[in-house]
Amino acid sequence: MILRLEFLRLVRSRRPLMALLALLLFLALMLVGFWSYAQSRTHGAVQFEYTYENRSYFNGLTFALYAFFFGFVLLLPIFAAIEGGAQIAGDAGSGTLGLLLVRPISKTRLFFTKLAVAWGWSTLLTALFLGAALLLGLFAVGWGELRLYPGVLQSSDRPQLLSRATALRRFLLAWPAASLALLAPLALSFWISTWTRSAVNAVGTAVALYLVAHVIVEVHFFEALKPWLFTSHTTAWRALFRETIDWREIAGHEVALLGHAALFLALAFRRFRRREEA
Amino acid sequence: MSGGAPVEVERLGKRFGSRVALADIDLTVAAGEIVGLVGPNGSGKSTLLRVLAGLLRPTSGRARLFGHDPFLARETVMRDARFAFAPPALFESLTAREHLVHLVGLHGRAARPPAAAIDGALARVGLAERADDRVRSFSFGMRQRLAVAQALLPPPRLVVLDEPTEGLDPAAVLELRAILSELRKQHGVAILLSSHLLIEIDSLVDRLLLLQEGRVLFAGSAATLRAGSERLVLGVDAVERGAAALLAHGFAATLRSDGTLEVANGTLTLAEAQTLLRAAGVALASFHVEQRSLEQLLRERLAAGRPA
Repeated sequence: MILRLEFLRLVRSRRPLMALLALLLFLALMLVGFWSYAQSRTHGAVQFEYTYENRSYFNGLTFALYAFFFGFVLLLPIFAAIEGGAQIAGDAGSGTLGLLLVRPISKTRLFFTKLAVAWGWSTLLTALFLGAALLLGLFAVGWGELRLYPGVLQSSDRPQLLSRATALRRFLLAWPAASLALLAPLALSFWISTWTRSAVNAVGTAVALYLVAHVIVEVHFFEALKPWLFTSHTTAWRALFRETIDWREIAGHEVALLGHAALFLALAFRRFRRREEA
Repeated sequence: MSGGAPVEVERLGKRFGSRVALADIDLTVAAGEIVGLVGPNGSGKSTLLRVLAGLLRPTSGRARLFGHDPFLARETVMRDARFAFAPPALFESLTAREHLVHLVGLHGRAARPPAAAIDGALARVGLAERADDRVRSFSFGMRQRLAVAQALLPPPRLVVLDEPTEGLDPAAVLELRAILSELRKQHGVAILLSSHLLIEIDSLVDRLLLLQEGRVLFAGSAATLRAGSERLVLGVDAVERGAAALLAHGFAATLRSDGTLEVANGTLTLAEAQTLLRAAGVALASFHVEQRSLEQLLRERLAAGRPA
């Protein structure tokens, strides 16, 4: 019943709709950017072909991958953090955490139910975003092979070519891998939200920490810190879009992410059990 | 559930940093008893109720519900205890019916009352026609009613209500009193009510606990509080001479703002007053016995700030 209650509360809140609208708007912006970039590269012809001169190949699959990558880095962790913050700090602030705690339900069950709902929603949002990116790519750009060139999306130093069917299977694999990666910022947000009664504070702090950790990973100066930051591992799913998948590498990153998430959740759970509701 | 009293509090203390929120609180609520917790805002009423709900951990002393520590055995005590805090916190996005169904559902399949009981509880607090409306559309009074309804299900052995009459119209206050009386008489439910307005609950409660700045100023029955509270009010033609004459014989008289003299009833009879005043050359123009309300008595206690 608690799972049903928490799910119903989530569905009835405005958060899912706001998140979906924001992601759709982001996709629309990506499409405009994608189109204008292709236009500039092909001198107005907008030919979605790779040439030696433009070193680019655009089609629906590349659009979907670009859109998903940037959406994953910039938006999805924020929505995961919002959900994490709303679950404990938000409930505490509105008094509904106290309302639940004066019923015969253990804090353990309540904590993990809230986590399941928040992560379940983040996973669903990831799937919806990925699906929308693929559909928009199909209808607005048109599908073909997935060709990737060395750059932000592709950690390999040589071009990769995936058939449409293979690429779609890789997208399907990217969904759980990316969803698992969202567990880390979500868990961070959960932990912070056990220290406050304000969802805004919890979400703001979690997002700020995520962004700082993300920037540190991108800056060469902080090389020594990278192994300790979960943001070093969150985009490991990109390796799924190589011709040959290095499963060991991906598994290593996912285990590291799970370790970070487990640590944050253990700290959050410890704090939640001892927390008082004034 | 073990057989301890519904509420047992011994020398309970609670601090928030250096601020003392509660100090040396003793309280027992037996089955079938209604106890009123009274005090001004910030006196510690809500803190005490939150300690009882297991939401706050006492700094010193102990609290027990049905023999269990509510902070450590919260899940156990909440099978039989219902709490409603002020202001009522509710699931805004749910309808009133969904709200009750889901809260009651947290008690497990075995304890879950039938749907008719939920409809009955909503009807009892006057929300039958709004049962399928979202809580966020409710007025404060309606939210208070829903908070009361949720405290009735599943059938409890202890009900703790924080400021339950706040925001209710007079008819709803009467209905609330009827509900609580019925719970006590027919089901032997122990009830603890808090209010900053005694007038709202004084007709209901068996005992009172008056709090000020986290300390007990008075604990006992309303009758105890009323004892010796009657005043003899004397209208005389020379108040200063009259007061001096009474004082000379050991009767302290207070000059009231309306120019009359007030003496504690029982210490001085009317005949004695007439004799003493006549001997001092003071004419007695009027007299009556004044019974002060509990509210006045408690206000006096609060003003004096002296522990009882």
